[in-house]
Amino acid sequence: MSTLKKLLSSLNIEADYISLRSFHSKTANISVRNEILEGLSSSEDNGLMIEVMIGGQIAYGATNSFELSEVKRCAEKAKQSALLAKKFGLFNFSQNIRPRAIGEYQSPTKQGLAFFSPANLTDLLTDISRAMKIHDHIISRTANFSLTETQTHLVATNGSDIIQNITRSSIGMSATAASSKGTQKRTFGDEQSTQIGLERIDIAKLNIAAIKIASEALALLEAEECPNSTMDLILAPDQMFLQIHESIGHPLELDRILGDERNYAGWSFVKPSDFGSLQYGSKLMNVTFDPTVSGQNASYYADDTGAIATREYLIKDGLLVRGLGSLESQERLNLPGVSSQRSASWNRAPIDRMGNVNLEPGQSSFEEILGSVERGVMMQTTRAWSIDDYRNKFQFGCEYAQLIENGKLTKLVKNPNYRGITAPFWNQLKMVGDKNSYQVGGLTNCGKGEPNQIMYVGHASPVCLFSNIEVFGGGK
Amino acid sequence: MNNFYTTFENFSKKVLNELTGDESLTLTLSAENTFFSRISNAKIRQITNLHQAFVEYKFIKGNKTLSFNLPFIGNDENFLMVLEKIKESRIWIDRLPEDPYLVRPAFFGITKDINDNQLPSNDEMLTNVLDFSGHLDLAGAFSSGDIVRATINSVGQFHWFKTKNYYLDYSLYNNQQKAVKALFAGVNWNAEALKLNLTDSESKLALMNRVSKKIEPGQYRAFLAPSAVSELLGIMNWGGVSMGEHQRGNGSFKDLWENKKRLSPKFSLAEDFSLGMSPRFNDLGEIAESLMPVITKGEFKNFLTSTRTANEYKVETKFSLDSEGMRSPVVATGSLVRENILKELGTGLYISDLHYLSWSDRETARVTGMTRYACFWVENGEIVSPIQDLRFDESLYNIFGSELIDLTNYAETITNTGSYFEREVGGSKTPGILISNFKFTL
Repeated sequence: MSTLKKLLSSLNIEADYISLRSFHSKTANISVRNEILEGLSSSEDNGLMIEVMIGGQIAYGATNSFELSEVKRCAEKAKQSALLAKKFGLFNFSQNIRPRAIGEYQSPTKQGLAFFSPANLTDLLTDISRAMKIHDHIISRTANFSLTETQTHLVATNGSDIIQNITRSSIGMSATAASSKGTQKRTFGDEQSTQIGLERIDIAKLNIAAIKIASEALALLEAEECPNSTMDLILAPDQMFLQIHESIGHPLELDRILGDERNYAGWSFVKPSDFGSLQYGSKLMNVTFDPTVSGQNASYYADDTGAIATREYLIKDGLLVRGLGSLESQERLNLPGVSSQRSASWNRAPIDRMGNVNLEPGQSSFEEILGSVERGVMMQTTRAWSIDDYRNKFQFGCEYAQLIENGKLTKLVKNPNYRGITAPFWNQLKMVGDKNSYQVGGLTNCGKGEPNQIMYVGHASPVCLFSNIEVFGGGK
Repeated sequence: MNNFYTTFENFSKKVLNELTGDESLTLTLSAENTFFSRISNAKIRQITNLHQAFVEYKFIKGNKTLSFNLPFIGNDENFLMVLEKIKESRIWIDRLPEDPYLVRPAFFGITKDINDNQLPSNDEMLTNVLDFSGHLDLAGAFSSGDIVRATINSVGQFHWFKTKNYYLDYSLYNNQQKAVKALFAGVNWNAEALKLNLTDSESKLALMNRVSKKIEPGQYRAFLAPSAVSELLGIMNWGGVSMGEHQRGNGSFKDLWENKKRLSPKFSLAEDFSLGMSPRFNDLGEIAESLMPVITKGEFKNFLTSTRTANEYKVETKFSLDSEGMRSPVVATGSLVRENILKELGTGLYISDLHYLSWSDRETARVTGMTRYACFWVENGEIVSPIQDLRFDESLYNIFGSELIDLTNYAETITNTGSYFEREVGGSKTPGILISNFKFTL
C-alpha cells in the first residue's frame, strides 16, 4: 500500500469524501549574463493537500509535513471549514464532481534532473551569451535554463488513485542593444516551455538563435517607429500564444463566467447563454482544449480533482461551443466543460484553469498569407500585454515587426503595438496558416486566483492574418 | 508557530556547524499559518487552511556561490535533507566559475520584531464578514494568520519578523455588474469597523446604479484616487526604480536618472519603512535605511540597489531586495483637500482604480492599462454617471510631471494582499492626484 493510501486509511475522519494529493517537485535553474554565471539555484517542494467534502461542501487543509499527527490536524481543520461552509456555502455539490479514476501519466521526457550538469550548462549558456556579443551596442546578453520534475499523487476515499510524473524545461535568451538612438531588446524561448528535458538542447540551433536575436536588436536601433495606422496584421506563433491565452483562454474559464474571479483577475464578456450561439471569430477559427498533445506543456491524464482529461473543441468554425471549467463549474452552470481544475502546488486549492489551448492549423501557406497582404505589418514575440477585466479591450506590444507592402516583407519597424476588442478582432481573422507554420509552445507564468496561483499552460498556433487592425508605435 | 523562533534558531545553528573551511551560509526563512477563504456572492466558495515553511540556503565556498530552497520542518529528517544538499552543493560548486560580484554574509546585528496581537478565531471573523454582507453581492478573499520572515547567517546575524494580520479584499456588485472595490485590513479585529467599511462601500455602490456613459477615446482631465496611484507605483517595481535594470538598459526612468527629464516639483516618492508593514532586512539580512528618497520634488535621488548590483556597477548599495522593487513606497501629499476634489476636477474623469498595467514603451515611461470599478464622468464638479471602462496609454513623465496639478493632502495606506507562492508583507501609502490630461485610447 502506498504511503498516501496508508495516511488516508489512518485518518478516521467522518466525511462524504476525502482525498489526499501530494505534490513533490524538484527544480534547477541556471542563468548567465554577459558571460558571467549569474545564478545557480535548486529547490525542492513537498507537501500535501487534504480535501474534505461534507454535505455538498468542500474545504481544504494543506501542510508540508507528512507526519500522521499533522495530517490529521489539517484534515480536522478542513472538516471544520467544510461544516462552516454548510452554513454559508455557495452551492451544494453532488458527489458526481469527484468521479473515481485510476491511472498514471508520464511525460515523454528523456533526460531529467539526473542529467543536470551545472558545469556543462554554465559552459553552454556562457557560449550562447558570447555568441550574442556581436557589437559593443549589445550591452546585455542573458541565457538561462530551467528544469522541473514534479510528481503528483492523488488518492481518495472513492478509490481514485492517480500518479502523474511530469518533467518540463525551458531555455531562454535575450539581447539588449543600446545606443544614442535608444534601447531595444530581443528574446528567444520564453514561450517554449514543454515536457522535454535536457535532450532539447541543440547547441548549433541555439547559437544561430543567439546571433539572430542580437542582430535583430541591433537592427531595431536603426529602425523607424511602427506607423500609427489601421492595416492588415500578421502575427507569428510566438505572439499568437499570448493572443490565444488572453483573449480566448481566460474569457472561457467558467469560474470567471460564474463571477468567482471578479475581485481579482476579473470576469468575462462571455455569458452562459453564449455557448452554442456566440460567433466568437471567423469560420476559420478552431480552438481545442487538448491534453493529449505529446510533450506539450499542459498535457496530463487527469486534473487535480481526478477528472480524466480529453480533447474537446472550445470553438468550432468560429462558434463558441464549450468553456474551460471543472466538474464543479459544469454542475453549477449546467454546461459542458473540460477537465481543467488545477492547482499550482500542494498549498493551493484547484481552480478552473487553462490546459493546452490550441488554435488548430488551417489551409494557407505562409507565402499565400503574405502574398495576400497589400499593406500591413507582421509582428513577432510578445513584449507587453494588457487586457481589461472582462477580457475585451486589449493592447499588446511586440519586440519585432516588418512592414508588408504588396505581398512582401519590407522595412523593419520598432516598438510595434496593436489593440482591439476580443470578439470583433477574432472575427477579423482572415487567414490561418497550415501545419508548416504551426508551432507548439507553453507559458509558465499564468497568474490567477485568490489566493494567487501561478500555472503552466500550453498553446499552439500557426501564423495568422487579421484584417484592419489598429497598430501603432512608441514615443510620447 | 509558538516555538518556531527557537526551532529555527536551533536548527540553523546545527546546520551552520556543518560548514568547513572557507564555506559560509545564509538561511532565509519564509513561513505562514494562513486561513484563506474565497468568497463569491457573499458565500463561501473555497476555504484552505495552510501551514507552510521554506528556507532558502545561500551557500558560498571560496569565491563561488549557489543557492537551494527546501521545506522547513525542523526535525532530524529535515536536517539530513539539508546535509545531503550541502554535500551536493560542494560537488556542484567545485566546477563553477568564481563570482566576480559575490555578496558575502555580513553582520547586520540581531533583531526581533514581533507583532503578537490576538485575533478572534478564523471562523468568527469570516462569520462576521458573511453575516454583515449577506444582503450584498460581495466577491473577494478573506485571509488571516501568522507570517514569519527571518534570516540567520554564519557570521552571527539573526533577524526575526513576525506579524499576525488579516484582510478582506473585496468588491461589491449591483445588478448591472458595476462594482466598487474596498479593502479591510489590519492587525486588530474590530467587527464594528468592518460593518462601517461595508456600509461605506454599499453607499458608494448606489452611485453605480446610474446608466454608464460611454466616453470616446481622447485626452481628459482626471483625478486618480490613491488606489489607482498605487497601481502606478506597482508598475514602477517592474524596472522603473531598479538600478540594475537601468544599468542593463531595461529601465523605464532612464531620462530621469540621467537628469534629462524631471517630474513635477510637487511629486516626491520614497522607500519609507516607518510604514511598519515590511521588515527592513532583505533576504541576506542586510538592513536598508529607514527612509530612502527615490524622487524628490521631481528630481531623481536614488534607485533601489542590491549589493550584487552595487558590486557589479561600482555604485552604492541600498541593501534592496534582489528584485530591486520597493517594499514600502510612500508618495508625499499635496494640498488638494478631499472636499474640493470634484470641484477642482471640474469636468473630467474620477478614476478609483486601474487594472492590468503594462509598459507600452519603456523609453518614454509609457504605461497602458484599464480603468476599473467605480470610475465616473464628472461635469462642473458634480458626478454625472459611471463610465464604461476605458484603456489608457500615457507616460509617467506626464502623469507625475507636466500634467500633474496637485496631490491630495491626505494619503491612504494600502496593504499588499498578494499571495503568489506565499502571503506577502508590505504595502504602500499614497495620496490621490489631479492631472490636467490623461490619454485614453480605446
